[in-house]
Amino acid sequence: MTRFPSDDWVNQFKEALNSNTVYAEVAKDWEGDFLFIVTPDEGLKDEVILYIDLWHGKCRKAFITDRNQRAAFVFKGPYSNWKKVIKKELDPIRGLIRGMFILEGDSKIILDQTKAAQELVNTASQISTEFEV
Amino acid sequence: MVQIIDTHFWNPHLKIKKKIEYKFTTLGEDYKFRTPVLTSEIVKEIIIDLKKQREQYLHTSDIPTILDTIGTVTKRWLDPMYNGRQLAQKVLPLITGFSPEMIETWGFGRFLSILKKENFPIFNKLNHENFQDFSAHGDGWVKAYGSHEITHSNPNPTLIGHICAGNIVGIGAIEIIIDKLIDAATWVKPPSEEPIFTAMYAKSIEEIDPRLAYTIAVLPYESKNTELNEFLFSQSDLIRATGSELARQNLMTLSKKHNTPVAGHWHKLSFITIAREYLNKRVREIAELVSLDVSAWDQQGCFSPHEIFIEKGGEVSPKEFAKILAEEMAVTAKILPKGTKSGKMQVLNGFHQYFKRKQMGEPIEIYQSPHKNWLVIFDGVSKDFEPSPLFRVIRVRPVEDILDVVEIVRPLGKFLQTTGVAIPNNRLLSFANEIGEVGVTNIRAISSMTLQKAWEPWDGRFPLQELFEHDNIRWVSINTRNIDEEIKLLIEQKRMLNNQ
Repeated sequence: MTRFPSDDWVNQFKEALNSNTVYAEVAKDWEGDFLFIVTPDEGLKDEVILYIDLWHGKCRKAFITDRNQRAAFVFKGPYSNWKKVIKKELDPIRGLIRGMFILEGDSKIILDQTKAAQELVNTASQISTEFEV
Repeated sequence: MVQIIDTHFWNPHLKIKKKIEYKFTTLGEDYKFRTPVLTSEIVKEIIIDLKKQREQYLHTSDIPTILDTIGTVTKRWLDPMYNGRQLAQKVLPLITGFSPEMIETWGFGRFLSILKKENFPIFNKLNHENFQDFSAHGDGWVKAYGSHEITHSNPNPTLIGHICAGNIVGIGAIEIIIDKLIDAATWVKPPSEEPIFTAMYAKSIEEIDPRLAYTIAVLPYESKNTELNEFLFSQSDLIRATGSELARQNLMTLSKKHNTPVAGHWHKLSFITIAREYLNKRVREIAELVSLDVSAWDQQGCFSPHEIFIEKGGEVSPKEFAKILAEEMAVTAKILPKGTKSGKMQVLNGFHQYFKRKQMGEPIEIYQSPHKNWLVIFDGVSKDFEPSPLFRVIRVRPVEDILDVVEIVRPLGKFLQTTGVAIPNNRLLSFANEIGEVGVTNIRAISSMTLQKAWEPWDGRFPLQELFEHDNIRWVSINTRNIDEEIKLLIEQKRMLNNQ
């Protein structure tokens, strides 16, 4: 079991993405890096920022970072909602529509790549994850 | 051979056909509308099925699939060869009284493009604290007025009803799409003035994804059918309604009785404001664009202008502007002619009203089309805002300063909606701050008054968010961050229309 969010988790996520042929296909046109910002609630006391560099169906870099990091897109939400997404209890686009997450960046590009976004979540859900209590 | 067109839609596999009687309405020589006589018993079965379809399919479908379906449906409608569009192009002018040109250009050409997948309003719920001043959103600006006191919240509505007014052709299609983005089943009461497009649109979804379509029911019934209204309110998580002040009163009574929130869009008044900086060598372009706002949908929309305020001090006077506008109204009438619902009586009434005042010596000039298709009035004396008789009757009024408009429209308060503007960037935000304060919710570049961008609020609320949360925030938008560039773009579009 790998704790979310952590360096180990983000490394596993990178490896899982790079071995996911479905993701490679649906994200083949994707160019852009993400900051996944996990804001504290429930068991998480401090904000955690994950940097994920996605490029044509592959993950080039993934690591925990800080507020100085910049990326084309920011997807931000409270820890409890991230848990739901990773457990596949919440579709991230539905979360976005309902205001459970905030997106910074060109939403039209995200809209055009919703299948890639979905496969990102599918990949994350396959990691054996334990959460902060 | 007479073609039968249904005004209704629901899951055709429901075994209720035998129970239904139909009324037929003849339209011209070639078409008949078929309208079911809906009873509570029938509608109850439809609603039970809607909720079942929502639970079994919509709720478990992934958003990308839904988006793809809607994107494909819109692509079909944007294709001039699509049989549904070809039928609508023939029938809508007959039933609405709008000209085929209006339906084609303003309906299929402009309005339908809002339904493109890339325009869907999937964006963040905005935090009002970050928008206490006009701040960037979409390709424009928005500002939050009022307080964040939540009066209704339901993030997972299962069934949403839509009661549509007849003055906005195609509104039912937008309503259907937005519901699908929040996993809600939908019933729509189409307007009696235009009862077919919503059902046609639902059928076009059925062609692509029947199970998604079966989360939609189009229920044509008379507004005075209390029994049905009561039942539908009792079954719905929320009703979005567009309509008159009378409709508002009736629906709010039902809302209270059944504790069903209403997202209401009622009678509104709109106007145009032109700053002196645009009354120069560009004045004809400005008049061209203004003529589109006055002519679009024959001024029937809540977003259509009733008056035009022209700031004094430009190279061209307000009176000269009125004359140039009249010339451009004549040109635009060729591109977007009136249909069978010409409103000639309204135009004549407008003429006589101002002709008498001119005869009495008031500083009034009247410019009219030879066939009473439009009327431009220059009124140099009136102090108060006067609603237009519509049907392309527009009054041009001089003001010393664009900020004087704020006091003129202030008494209209919550009835205000859209102002079309040609105001330079360096003065626009100060104007917007003041005009937003008194009640205007949408500030749009001239010629786009009737064309909502997907990211814009509607009457102070975002169309998607208002389906699950209501608060006392009133959002005010400016539909561009660079008015000058927007006007250049709009002029190019107008010239393309001219050339077509």
